[in-house]
Amino acid sequence: MMSSLLAYRPFIDPIDAHGWWFLLLLPMAFFVALAYKSVRVADLKDLWRNTLVMSAQITLAMIGLGFAFYLFVEYLLPIIVPRT
Amino acid sequence: MSSDTSHAAREGFQPHALLAAVAFPGAGHMILGEVKRGVYAAIGVLGLFLGGIFLGGIDVIDSKEDRVWFLGQACVGPLAFGIDYLHQNHFKVRDPVSGRLRSARPDEGRGPDGTPQRLEIAPAPNTPAVPTQPPNRKSIGKVNELGTLFAAIAGMMNLIVIIDASYPSKRQAPSKNPDPAASLRPEGSA
Repeated sequence: MMSSLLAYRPFIDPIDAHGWWFLLLLPMAFFVALAYKSVRVADLKDLWRNTLVMSAQITLAMIGLGFAFYLFVEYLLPIIVPRT
Repeated sequence: MSSDTSHAAREGFQPHALLAAVAFPGAGHMILGEVKRGVYAAIGVLGLFLGGIFLGGIDVIDSKEDRVWFLGQACVGPLAFGIDYLHQNHFKVRDPVSGRLRSARPDEGRGPDGTPQRLEIAPAPNTPAVPTQPPNRKSIGKVNELGTLFAAIAGMMNLIVIIDASYPSKRQAPSKNPDPAASLRPEGSA
């Protein structure tokens, strides 16, 4: 209660992202792709296209992994280990 | 400096680029003449690192309570150690019972000597300096996890940048042959 009344200080206090934390995958994927592609591409003219493609690949791969784990936990695991 | 000259001068291991890259993200490429590449690498690494601190607060850089995560974050370089020093010595309080450093509780402030003091939201006018808010708020849950993860990934990415600056000749040169399989075919075949 008390802490919620106090002023927010950027970079010192955490932000309230508990409702939309999953959207943080997008900036994470972008910065990872930018750091990697900045040293990977031979010609920097290709940097932004490569960065955007890799960002999309990371994002889709994470969504796919999340969906795969959802199927595993919700459908496959109850078959392997039936609920008692 | 032409690109050919710079490429020829950058064969093999570059110790000065290694030192610069360890000192600051992207600096290794910059002193090798690849300023734009260094700037982009720095934006990528620092975007993750500072983004992590922005998300979870300074609490996500903690060599004492999150030592394993800090091993990854430390690869960002002196910046990570500086922020950790700041966190340990200017934000944490020294527990009067155990004598150990810990994060201040929501109802605690930090006194001038580093001991926890009870907060006074509206201190009386003639009282000595009394903390009115905690030195920092501890992040919890997903925000703490993601902030810590952002900063640790920044360290991992900076490791790639450091290695690339140290061995610049390892980067794949622009391909002059658009068909890589052509070099594998026997001469005279289509």
